[in-house]
Formats: sequence, C-alpha cells, structure tokens
Amino acid sequence: MGSAAERALELILSGDRELCNILSVTARMSLASSLLALLIGLPLGIWLGSCRFRGRGALLVVNRTLMSLPPVVCGLIFYMLFSGVGPFRQFKLLFTVEIMVLAQVTLITPIVVGAMESYVSSIAPAVRETARGLALGGGKTLLLLMNECTYQICSAYLLAFSRAIAEVGAVSMVGGAIAWKTNVMTTAIMQYTNRGDFSLGIALGMILLGASLLVNLAISLLQRGLSR
Amino acid sequence: MKKTLSILLVLAMMAALLSGCSGSTAAGTETPAAQTTETPAETGETGESAQALIVDTKILYEADDSMLNTYTLIAVDPEAPFTDADGNAVSDVAVNTAGADALIHWMLSREALDLAAGYGVEEYGESLFYLLEDAPVYEGEIAAATEETRTIRLSTTTSVNDSGLLGYLLPVFQEEYGYTVEVQSAGTGKAIAAAQYGNADLILVHSKSQEEDFVEAGYARIVDGFDAERLSFIYNYFVLCGPSADPAGAAACPSVLDAFAAIAQGKYTFISRGDGSGTHTKELSLWPEDLGITAEPESFADYTDWYISANAGMGACLVMAEEMGAYILTDKATFLAFVANGGQA
Repeated sequence: MGSAAERALELILSGDRELCNILSVTARMSLASSLLALLIGLPLGIWLGSCRFRGRGALLVVNRTLMSLPPVVCGLIFYMLFSGVGPFRQFKLLFTVEIMVLAQVTLITPIVVGAMESYVSSIAPAVRETARGLALGGGKTLLLLMNECTYQICSAYLLAFSRAIAEVGAVSMVGGAIAWKTNVMTTAIMQYTNRGDFSLGIALGMILLGASLLVNLAISLLQRGLSR
Repeated sequence: MKKTLSILLVLAMMAALLSGCSGSTAAGTETPAAQTTETPAETGETGESAQALIVDTKILYEADDSMLNTYTLIAVDPEAPFTDADGNAVSDVAVNTAGADALIHWMLSREALDLAAGYGVEEYGESLFYLLEDAPVYEGEIAAATEETRTIRLSTTTSVNDSGLLGYLLPVFQEEYGYTVEVQSAGTGKAIAAAQYGNADLILVHSKSQEEDFVEAGYARIVDGFDAERLSFIYNYFVLCGPSADPAGAAACPSVLDAFAAIAQGKYTFISRGDGSGTHTKELSLWPEDLGITAEPESFADYTDWYISANAGMGACLVMAEEMGAYILTDKATFLAFVANGGQA
C-alpha cells in the first residue's frame, strides 16, 4: 500500500498527460451523467412521492426493479443497440463519451427517483396540510415542498455522482476503454489490474477517491448552507 | 446570503471543472501522437522503480515449434454477412475500408516491420516479436487520411497492446499519415466478436483456428496488394512458466506436450486464462487428449483440485501463478514485462 501511495503522489506531481486525460474524461462523464439523471429523476421522484393515483404502486415496483439493473447488462443492451449491426447504428455513438453518459443516466435515474420518492412521500402530507392552512395555490405548494427537500436533493445528487464515478461494468462495455478517448479511472484501473500491475491500480483508486472527496466536500458545504 | 454564496461557489466549481475538461480535451486532440509516445517511456520508468522484488516464476519451456504464436492482420469486409442480435441480416454496416487499408499497408511496409522486429531490445535486451520469413511486404503508396477515413477502429488482443508494441508503432503511423487509431483490446474471442458486430475496421489477433472461422464466415476482405485475407507477419513464442523448483520436472521433458502431461499426471496447480483468448485456445491444444479439457466448464469439472480457470487477463493470471507457485502458459512478451516489473502486485 505504501508504494501505491507513493506512486499515486508521483503520478499527480509529474502531471502525467495520460492521467490528466483520464481524469478529465472521468469528470466530464460523471458530472454530465449525474446532472442529467438529477434533472430527469427529480421531477419524477417528487411526482411519484407527492401524488396519489392509480398505477403508482406499479410504477414504484418498476422503478425499484430498475434500481437493481446490473450495470454490465445495461452496458450490453446499449452495446447491442448502438453496435455496427444494431438498430441505432447510424448515430455512430458506440465508443464515445456520449453513450457512456447515456448508459449511466439509465442506471442512475431510478436511484435518484427512488431516493426522492421515499423522502417526499414521508413529508408530503404535512406539507399539504400546511399549504391548505395557508391557502396556498398548487405552484406555491410545490415550491414549499421543494424548499423542504433541498437537503435531500443534495444527498440524491451525491448518490448519483458517486454511482457515476465508481461505475465500471457499463462504461467499459460501451466506451471500450479507448486510450485518449473513453478511458476513465475505473476502466484504467481494470486495465492495470489485468496487466498484473496492482499497485498502479491502487494508486489510481486513491486518486479517484481524492477527486470524489473534493466533490463531496463542495456539495456537503452547499447542503449545510442551504439547510441552515 | 450564505445560501446564494454557497450555491454560486458550487456552480463556479462545476463550470471550472467542465470548461477545464473541454479545454484539455481540445488540446488533447491536437497532439494525440505526441502524447501517446510518452506512454511506453512512462511504463518503463515505473518498471525500474519496482525492480527490487524477485519473481520466482520462470520460463521452463520455450522456442518449441508447437508453441509458435503468430500474429495476423485481417481487414473487415463491409459486405460481410452481418446479422443483428436476432439473426436478421444487416447490410449498411459502416466500415472504414480506406483507413484499414492504409494501416495494413503501413504495418506491412519495410519501415514498420523493422520497427516491430526491433521492439523490446532497448527495454528487455531481446526482441519481443520476430518477423515471419514469408511475411507479406507492401511497397506501394499509402493513402493519407481524409475527413471520412481519419478514425480507424482496431480490435486487438491484450498481448499486443499490453506488451507496448502498439504504443510504440502507432504514433509513428498517426503522425506521418494523419489518422487516429482507436485501439480496443480484449481476448482474441472478444476481439473477433467486436468485428462481427460491425465495431472494428480491422483486427490483429493470434489464434489460427478462430481466424480461419472468421474468414470462412465471410467477414474478411482481401486488401489491395495482397493475395490472402489472413496477413500473418510477426510471431513470438508461448512459454510454459512455473515455480523455479519445477516439481513436475517440466523443464526436463523432451517436448512441451510431455511437460503438460507431466503437470496433469502429478496434478500440479495450473492457471488457465479461461477467457477464450488466443493464449487460452493454445493451452487447450496442449493437454493430453484423453483428459478432454475444452473451453466448456464441464470438461474440467473433475480437475478443479489442480486446474484453475481464472477468466482474467494475462498479467493478472501471472500474479496468481506467482502467488500460488503454479504452472502457466503465457506469451513471452507479457512475461518479460511482468518480470521487469518485479512481479508487480
């Protein structure tokens, strides 16, 4: 472990260009996919959590099932769809960062929906009561609900981000781990492990955790500021 | 006030991160060749720093004719009988034939063949690949990249990529002719499957039987200037490695087949790649026939006390063999890199 930590430091300090590229692809992919998943998952989660309608239970079961979709299966589906012989071949998306984001959004959105739904459904009755007492309209009630959820929204985003940055099964299938193009931290770690260079793998793992720590710190600060 | 400030802070951080990324990728696309050339040097350095470790696994058997490991280039035919997952025929598969032609022409030019034959002398003191005597040589013009043909998708095996050969050759080609070669590396089985799904313009693999099936199924194409689909050009040897004590006495066996028989006879631990790679295919052909070991898990269910199907890359399997004092079949290039890294684990 000591030598791995040394190599991690060495790599960072030397400003290795391949490492910089891997880091930037990782950042681009995980930020884009977690933000997109939040954009899609947030309204869906709030809707599922706050409204009562026929078929809501079925939708919840579907969502919870999708939460356990194995990443490698998701990757395989996108690989087959966008393959040179797949139905969406004319988009030429296979082995690009865009399709990695697409696969990640598919994986992460149900998790955001699930996290929001369970929280919103627990506070929705109280919020509705308050809104009725204050004679607020539909729009204002929604705003009130959103305001009550800010802490949870940050947590949901962090959950999405950590899933995105740590995922390997799907991104290695659809991205192909092509150097200078679609190689991210996790797929690079896989590559070094397959080569038998375990300590470089651990070094990269440490850098990945470090990067994740920075993002977590920033969001946690935001979370504290918002909930004060 | 605090709220808005912290929101602004986070937004600014994200904007900085995102713009930083796009900035560095833009810079990256300008000089891909220059960047790739740095990679072999970098791995060399890291190898030296860990030299202190001693590897017990050593080569017991090499340079046997039955251990020949020949690498072959095959161009993918856009008119091939591609089928989708449901078995329906697909006709308009995009294959960059001009790019594949250029890369094959260059790989088989005098310049590239000499480069390949000299690879490894500097780092390991011996060549990792040898030229086939009857390797086809191309002497004509090589087309430069155009907007449509710039990106070439090369599907290859881990041994070519991990040994650093491609990182050594491709930058020269990319710089000279303006192409970008996207290398996906996986075991031979998966590398060929990628081409059959229309995701590669050419393949560079090392498993004769699988290559012949690929050609026979109509996926291959004859490149201008050559007269066969399979263009075999470099080779090296598979080597049988094992613990230096060599309890099975493999090194003293008259042939490698006897060595494998001795390992099976004494039930000495053997690590198999088990992943459908060229090395795995080779290994399966070396066991005594009455054992009946094939790629099917049922075929070695009775031998699990000594036959370990790892389903992992060559490097990971070597680490495993070193840890367990086991025998293993490997390509020589990966083994030398493994030893140079001090059995890095």
